Amino acid sequence: MSLKARDQQSFSYLYDNYAGALYSIVLQVVPDKEVANDVLQEVFVNIWRKIESYDPSKGRLFTWMLNVARNLAIDMVRSKGYQNSQKNQSLPEGEYLDKGGASTQLSVDNIGLKKVVGKLKTEHRVLIDLAYFKGYTHEEIAAIENLPLGTVKTRIRSALIQLRDYLK
Amino acid sequence: MNIQEYISSGIVESYVLGLASNEERIEFEQLSASHAELRAAREAFEINLEQQALGNAMPAPAAVKEKIWSELDLKTAAPPIGKNAPVAVTMQPLTPVRTLSIAKLMAAASIILLLGSTLLNVYYYNQYKTSLAQLQDLIASNQETAKNTTIMQTKIDLYEKSLDLVKDSNMAIIALKGQPVAPQSLTTVYWNKQTKDVYLLVNNLPVPVTGKQYQLWAIVDGVPVDAGTLNMNEANGLVKMKNIPKAQAFAITLELAGGSKTPTMPIYVVGKA
Repeated sequence: MSLKARDQQSFSYLYDNYAGALYSIVLQVVPDKEVANDVLQEVFVNIWRKIESYDPSKGRLFTWMLNVARNLAIDMVRSKGYQNSQKNQSLPEGEYLDKGGASTQLSVDNIGLKKVVGKLKTEHRVLIDLAYFKGYTHEEIAAIENLPLGTVKTRIRSALIQLRDYLK
Repeated sequence: MNIQEYISSGIVESYVLGLASNEERIEFEQLSASHAELRAAREAFEINLEQQALGNAMPAPAAVKEKIWSELDLKTAAPPIGKNAPVAVTMQPLTPVRTLSIAKLMAAASIILLLGSTLLNVYYYNQYKTSLAQLQDLIASNQETAKNTTIMQTKIDLYEKSLDLVKDSNMAIIALKGQPVAPQSLTTVYWNKQTKDVYLLVNNLPVPVTGKQYQLWAIVDGVPVDAGTLNMNEANGLVKMKNIPKAQAFAITLELAGGSKTPTMPIYVVGKA
């Protein structure tokens, strides 16, 4: 893999071809463009530095990069600095989470994967949003949604099977 | 475990999207290693996900790429810019080489000039030696020619003189023929009736033994009168002998060097006047 050789040209090619797709996923987690820009920068710095940890036998390069982007974006949203800055704004991102079922408001619901997720039934959509875009574990979701862990797992699996069909 | 049920359980999507638990992830990877259809299902969902993501890409601000490159350049000076590092290394030796090249060129040029000059010197010295040898040969040849010319001129003078004598209408020609001691011998006496000068032409005479020479006699009223001795080395044309006012015949005998007062027998050649 030429990228593993830290070939700058390959890296530049990778950026030019995938930055937009990754920027899209970052924006779906971090709606603030300024912050999303910082996250995207961090995503590619991480790709460059951690490319050795990519194992082709476990999946495609894009899948690996997508997860790097998603994880970094979630980390940013969960960071104290981000939480503090969002509290000063008129629409705090975490507010609806405390309300339990009032999770229909998705700040970026018409781009990328969220557009597909939007096709799901509400009970599924909420769980995917919490799991995928917010990064909560099944246990955390069970606690947030006040649902049995088994139900959370079943609903998420069911939602993912539908997502797969939507993506075909 | 039924692998088809496993594939359609949603675990593939859960794994790819990073939603699977640690235990689920480990199990999935173990099963993937041994089940091609599971890997194929994973690959298929990954491609669909990738296509969807690429189709919904948001243009990233240009400033972000600049920031990334700037950050990586700063923090990872040598390794990430793999191309720049070797270029800098290869460029460095080039500069000293370029500065050295003028001195090297001049040195090379002077060596070539010196070598060329030396070769020319050798070449011209050889040319000089050849020319000198040729000149010496020419001088020797010229000297030889001059010597030969002198000899030839002397001979020509002699022959012209002989011819003049022969052409003289007053000249009597007397053939002296070989006698039994030397039958092949022949000499000719040219006797000017006006001046009474006698010239001898040796047509053919045996080479005399050392210490002896031929002597011409004029027979005057039955008495042999000395007409002079003959130096065979000078007998190439008409050889002037003694003036003989009167004679009836001429004869030649072989005498001791310096000549005799009376002839010693036998007679080599004889002829009547």
